[in-house]
Amino acid sequence: MTVALSLAASPRRRRLPAALPWLLIAPSVLLLLALILFPLVFALKNSFYFWNLQMSPVPMGYIGADNYRMAFSASFFLGALRTTVLMTLVGTAVEFLLGLGIALLLLRNLRGMRLTRVLLIMPTTIAPIVVGFLFRYMYDPNGGLIPWLLQSAGIPLPAAGLLGSSSTALWAVLFADVWQWTPFFAIVLYAALLAVPEDVLEAARLDGASAFKLLTHIKLPLIRKTALIVVMLRFMQLFNTFDLVVVLTKGGPGASTRTLGYSLYQAGLVDFNIGLASAMTWLIVIVVNAIIGLFVFFAFRDLD
Amino acid sequence: MARSETFSGRAFGYLAMLALLVVFIGPIVWFVLLAIRPADTFFAMPPVLRFQPSWESFRYTFVEPGNNLPQLRNSLIVAAGAVLLNLPFSFPAAYALSRYRLRGRKHIMLWYLGLLMAPPVAFLIPYSILASAAGLKGTYLSMILIAQTLTVPFSVWLMRSFIDEVPVELEEAARIDGGGLWTILTKVVLPLVTPGLIVTSMFAFVFSWNNAAFPLVLANRATATLPVGTLQYFGTAGVTWGFIAAAAVAAMIPPMLIFLVLDRYVVRGLTFGSVKG
Amino acid sequence: MKTVSAFRVSRRSLMKSGAALAGAAALGGTFPNIVRAQGSGTLRVLLAGDPFYYAIEGLKDQFQQETGITLEIEAISTEALQARLTSSFISNEPDADVISVDQMWLGQYLESKWILPLNEFIKADSDTAIDDFIPEVLYSMNTWRGQVGTLPVASYGQMVLYRKDFVDEAGIKIPEDGSWTWSDYLDTVKALHGKSFGGTTMSGTVLAGQQPAPVVHMFTQLAASMGTRWFKSFPTGSAWDFTPTVDSPENREALKLFLELYKLSPAESVGYNWFDAGMRFAKGDIGMFYWWTPYAYLCRKDGYMTGKDSVVADKLGIVRLPKAPDHHQVVSLGGHSLGIAGNTGKREAAWQFVKWATSAKTQKAMALYDKYGYQFSDFARPSLYADPDLLKIYPYLPGQIGDIRAGNGKIVRPPCPVYTTLEGIYGLNLNKVLTGAMTPEACLSETSTFFETILKGNFLIPYQQASYDDTLEATKALMASLA
Repeated sequence: MTVALSLAASPRRRRLPAALPWLLIAPSVLLLLALILFPLVFALKNSFYFWNLQMSPVPMGYIGADNYRMAFSASFFLGALRTTVLMTLVGTAVEFLLGLGIALLLLRNLRGMRLTRVLLIMPTTIAPIVVGFLFRYMYDPNGGLIPWLLQSAGIPLPAAGLLGSSSTALWAVLFADVWQWTPFFAIVLYAALLAVPEDVLEAARLDGASAFKLLTHIKLPLIRKTALIVVMLRFMQLFNTFDLVVVLTKGGPGASTRTLGYSLYQAGLVDFNIGLASAMTWLIVIVVNAIIGLFVFFAFRDLD
Repeated sequence: MARSETFSGRAFGYLAMLALLVVFIGPIVWFVLLAIRPADTFFAMPPVLRFQPSWESFRYTFVEPGNNLPQLRNSLIVAAGAVLLNLPFSFPAAYALSRYRLRGRKHIMLWYLGLLMAPPVAFLIPYSILASAAGLKGTYLSMILIAQTLTVPFSVWLMRSFIDEVPVELEEAARIDGGGLWTILTKVVLPLVTPGLIVTSMFAFVFSWNNAAFPLVLANRATATLPVGTLQYFGTAGVTWGFIAAAAVAAMIPPMLIFLVLDRYVVRGLTFGSVKG
Repeated sequence: MKTVSAFRVSRRSLMKSGAALAGAAALGGTFPNIVRAQGSGTLRVLLAGDPFYYAIEGLKDQFQQETGITLEIEAISTEALQARLTSSFISNEPDADVISVDQMWLGQYLESKWILPLNEFIKADSDTAIDDFIPEVLYSMNTWRGQVGTLPVASYGQMVLYRKDFVDEAGIKIPEDGSWTWSDYLDTVKALHGKSFGGTTMSGTVLAGQQPAPVVHMFTQLAASMGTRWFKSFPTGSAWDFTPTVDSPENREALKLFLELYKLSPAESVGYNWFDAGMRFAKGDIGMFYWWTPYAYLCRKDGYMTGKDSVVADKLGIVRLPKAPDHHQVVSLGGHSLGIAGNTGKREAAWQFVKWATSAKTQKAMALYDKYGYQFSDFARPSLYADPDLLKIYPYLPGQIGDIRAGNGKIVRPPCPVYTTLEGIYGLNLNKVLTGAMTPEACLSETSTFFETILKGNFLIPYQQASYDDTLEATKALMASLA
């Protein structure tokens, strides 16, 4: 197995100059730094300036932390943060668990399973904006497929429609995301499970381990690293969701689907308050950084 | 895997398989039908499944006036460009991160992914200013460059797990023969990680193809990409659902085809170096 | 020996790759040139995808034949348009010669020189026929501090639409001439609500409840008509004062009435945007509603630009808006206007297009363009409202011009510098009232407080810059001076 060889190889035998690996990494790091740092520095600077494009094409003056104060009062930052965290946690958990279940199903030796797996990834390949249109079409309270199916199945719907009721709108938006990304989890976890050596499983089976025990004691620990990475990736993407909200609900009804990403979109690209949007950007970066930092600290301590 | 299964176990498996297809593929089919159904059946419930297919929506979007046809080409140029530019940046980095026990390697690897945590909306106006300052506003190159923020981090991770599996001994042999680093990279490693290149390129293509936010502010009429093009049918006075569906279905096809044709690389590519640790 | 061959191979491949990279770089370098070459011979026009766009796109060959100027028209959604324009202006690289400018942004565009003032163009060109524009429209949409910044290509007012056969069967008479009050309107909606008609249970009315813009567009019509003003003194008055006045008895009364109307609407209209509301009415299960005038023709169709008649196509009653008994009528005016980008190299060609698209001749041709059925009656020129050909197709035109002449867009939705921010908050709170999460009283007092915070934060309270007494009379005088 190539796996064994790769582990056996000792990189310390290199005789190449010590700076070489850094030279190889440098182009990508420099490119990304240039492209990511510019907007972040741009935002950091402007978060301390009063700059509303509806009043002036250039920043109008230094105002200290007023934009941050404004973010906490007028832009409902805390409410949006709560909605976002709720949506992100539930979304990531549901997508992971469903994805894991589907991955286990895909591993079964049934006719047509390969074709199913090949087709299953399709939702993930679609542009998020198109997913937004697709679900807007299917959620339409008058003639959309989903309300019709639910009603036909005898499931009562809120009078204001799935996207129009404060109690269902967030979950309806999240469902579109789950639809798009569960297959991604499924395929990634399937690929990881496929790499679990069969002899290990066989040995455990001979010891009389149940299917559940196999999963929790052998398979999951072995695919832990893959799982943690995709969870982290999805967490960050979900946290910044805005395109689905723009197409589906515009943050409503009330503030029920107003996520941080959408609030930021509204401050920056609807109200064109660059100063406020910049302050919100940094607040979001700090919050995500803190969450991811904790996650990395606890989850990746033993990563090589 | 040849375990004997009970009848009910198999039946459950098939039912679950059917459910998967209905839930995950059904909506796509429903959208494709929207693109070819007559307007009076868009919102007809119970669903009208028997209708005379009409190609009017595709004709309007891609033939006459065909506003979306150049956008299809633009999307192809941008995505292909993003794939080409992605490789020289991500491959050397992935190689170094696979082969050298660098100090802080773990943190560098996580740093790449951590770059994705900043909210993309916040980047639109700064990127527009940046592109303009560089004289690249409205060009394909600006979109190709910005797409690297999405493609490079992911590619480094994918490529690294492929390079991990190339036996170091092969490189040693080449080195004894006097090959330099360039020879080793291009003549030994690269050919052996072709599947890795393919899967990395697939994802780079799809990430860049599907991004609508950056082209929205970076492109102009001549360079706008297809996902942005679907927006024009979503007006304040009305939604032309048929046109949206036609343009959107066309936007779905290339990524789907790529994933269908190159399916075997997908599973191989997405392990993120799992079991090997 | 092996060593040598391996080395050679690597040299060759190095050169190959080098050539490929150079090729890619060259390709990258030529992209901008290709793009600019495409743009140089033609006039680039960036519009919102409203009905007028379909008509202009259909007629653009005429313009090209008349002037020899090639057109490249791009239509995108309103939100995308705003994002695109703003990003291109702050990076100082507008990617169109003629752009569609929102009335809320007119002042900012003019003051930043993102668009050229049109006064001199109009004065120099008598066939603009500036005196054949409705002054209320130019005042609301196109003038700022004594300058004409844009010309209207599609002008909207608001009117009442009802389903005639249903209202007749219910034995209700609706006045054509606007001689009714908002409480009459509410009573009529109540009387229609819940009635069975042709086997369907009818809703009295329908609202556009989605935040932020749709619900603000709909509520502010009612509110302004009932006497609400946003600010103490703007845009008229010699000293502007942005102290908010939305927490007023008139506005509370208006909001309570609006909430009553929501209870007589389909519940899902809380999430309806402009066309969701219009298309719901077109489905036939709504008695009556008031909305932007394009819905007078849009509701005749089954869907947007489908060309198929809706069930209410020949059953539409279209009448003037109700008033409040003790207030002057104020109708909301909106729509789309064309401006010339500040740093275009093709001023003359751009002006030719603006003049052509807003001319009586082209506007009539747009109204007669019937690829999707007749889908344009948004005229800003009084002469077209009296045109017999147009009256035949759009019989509601006399009522429409009546409402537009009672229009004042600068009162209903004042174009103050932070309008979109205020609209965002107003929209959110109005939406919360509809969902029941907030009382009308709390909504208005909270909105007022937020307005004040924002206006102070944006240095508009107290107002220290130059004011401009922006009146309809001033616009009329301006028009006379340019004619």
